[in-house]
Amino acid sequence: MLLPTTTYRTAAFVEAARRLGVELTVASERPSTFEGAQPAALLTLDLAAPERAAEQAAAFARRHPVAGVVGVDDDTAVVAAAIAGRLGLTGNPVAAALAARDKHLQRLELVRHGVPVPRFELHTLGEDVTEFAARLRYPCVLKPLRLSASRGVIRADDPAGFRAALQRLGRILEQPDVAGCGDWASRVLVEDFIPGPEVALEGLVVAGQLQMLALFDKPDPLDGPFFEETIYTTPSRLPDRAQAALGACARDAVAALGLREGPVHAELRWNERGPWLIELAARSVGGRCSAALRFEAGETSLEELIIRHALGMPLPSLEREHQASGVMMIPVPGAGVLREVRGLATARAVPLIEDVVITAHPGQTLLPWPEGWRYPGFIFARGETPEAVEAALRTAQRRLGFVIE
Amino acid sequence: MDPASIQITAEPIDGSRCKFVVSQPVHAAGVRRFASAAEAEGSPLAAAIFAIPGAEVGEVIVSGNLVTVVKRGVTPWTAVGKSVGQAIRAALASGAPPLAPKAEAPVATADDDALYEQVAQLFDEQVNPMVARHGGRVELIDVQDAVVMLRMMGGCQGCGMADVTLRQGIEAMLQQHVPAVKGIVDITDHTAGTNPYFAAAKK
Repeated sequence: MLLPTTTYRTAAFVEAARRLGVELTVASERPSTFEGAQPAALLTLDLAAPERAAEQAAAFARRHPVAGVVGVDDDTAVVAAAIAGRLGLTGNPVAAALAARDKHLQRLELVRHGVPVPRFELHTLGEDVTEFAARLRYPCVLKPLRLSASRGVIRADDPAGFRAALQRLGRILEQPDVAGCGDWASRVLVEDFIPGPEVALEGLVVAGQLQMLALFDKPDPLDGPFFEETIYTTPSRLPDRAQAALGACARDAVAALGLREGPVHAELRWNERGPWLIELAARSVGGRCSAALRFEAGETSLEELIIRHALGMPLPSLEREHQASGVMMIPVPGAGVLREVRGLATARAVPLIEDVVITAHPGQTLLPWPEGWRYPGFIFARGETPEAVEAALRTAQRRLGFVIE
Repeated sequence: MDPASIQITAEPIDGSRCKFVVSQPVHAAGVRRFASAAEAEGSPLAAAIFAIPGAEVGEVIVSGNLVTVVKRGVTPWTAVGKSVGQAIRAALASGAPPLAPKAEAPVATADDDALYEQVAQLFDEQVNPMVARHGGRVELIDVQDAVVMLRMMGGCQGCGMADVTLRQGIEAMLQQHVPAVKGIVDITDHTAGTNPYFAAAKK
């Protein structure tokens, strides 16, 4: 299990492995203080260098046989592909995982295979954009090539707005945690803004075939200027025809990228011209959002499905539970240092609310989008209809009070 | 006491375990663990939790302001949690001691005492020097029926990798060095951690 030290996904995957009785080795980019004492259970890999990580994993596997590998985010999906290739395990081709991670590479492949994506261009920070800004079609969206959680994604409506957005994105890409990550941090994808509702598709690719696990509506319009996500609800309320077209679009994208095995998380839009593929990642949904999904009458988590698939264990029914479900990524209430969260008990008392999880810790600096990328917490609800779930999530959020200094 | 003045937040750990953080102390003198309704007899708070219909509660652990409940039933914490909250509120509001004084040590406790010593030695000599490198500390709270109760502090409290430390590190070491230990229960309030060694971000 490739678990970066900053992932939210640790508890869910570790618990899933326990439930399945799987002997687990956790690999991270920084050493656990227990690694020396538990060399079969803990491993340090260079997660920034997939081929080197694969070599390290191969050396580890000579001492401790490995039966499967799972990455949990964009970067470790590529590392998992490299390890799977090296050890002959179930996984994606490295080229496919790389294409899924890099927004520009991904669009090139999708266009080549006729998958509908926004019109796009690649630019470099620092280039003279005067002429370019004047001829652009507006509104447009500026995106970094690899940052997650819509960090740095900004809409521009005119040339002046474009220049301001580019400067702002440039400052984000100069941040110490980004600037040293590679050439991609000096490039910007500029693409058409696609109007229409956005959905998130969660799927599992088995032998090259996409199995759709869930389609989430995003009831809050994502029209910019920034793209901080809030609510996901499933099942989708879009017409059946739209859902089928979105599913087919995601299937085409999986085939176009050459993904063969494992989870995918896709963002798509729908309008009068049909479906549009906005992003597709070779990983499961981020944050704590996977808790909104249960399968096999509520007995099986998404992480259990992923681990079962990676190990070649029999897969249970991939049908989602009967109830509607939803999650709210709690919006960052403002910039500053979090001191206290009030109203948790009353938020949890809202009918249909299953849990309110605060992941920000007291003393943590909260940063709004587009510079920010960490939600202060998550709210979960289940009910008979997605409408009721959405209403419960909004009510619970209104009961929370964040004390920020 | 007005039950409405008692604030309780539920923090599900997984489908079977949930921690309830109470706004006031429930049991100040160490840890109490109840492994059955029979054991909870005479302790109104624990007995009321075991009596929640449909929950199939298997274990109640009380320490300070934390009440950890382990259930076997499939009823979600949404439903069970509210009943647990009501039970805690009612027990505290009644004014009577929520838990009976700990019974005189039965024979079995001698085993727990011996285990406690072994686990404490392991924590002192190996576990804590290791987690100290990340500014953390693990406190052994108690051993009851061969189940170790612990609390994580410092860099471990609220750390994004706390589950890895717990399962891949501490639990694995206990299995090797003190194999008689049947399980571990982390009673840490991770949301209150102010200086976690690793903090999570959405990916």
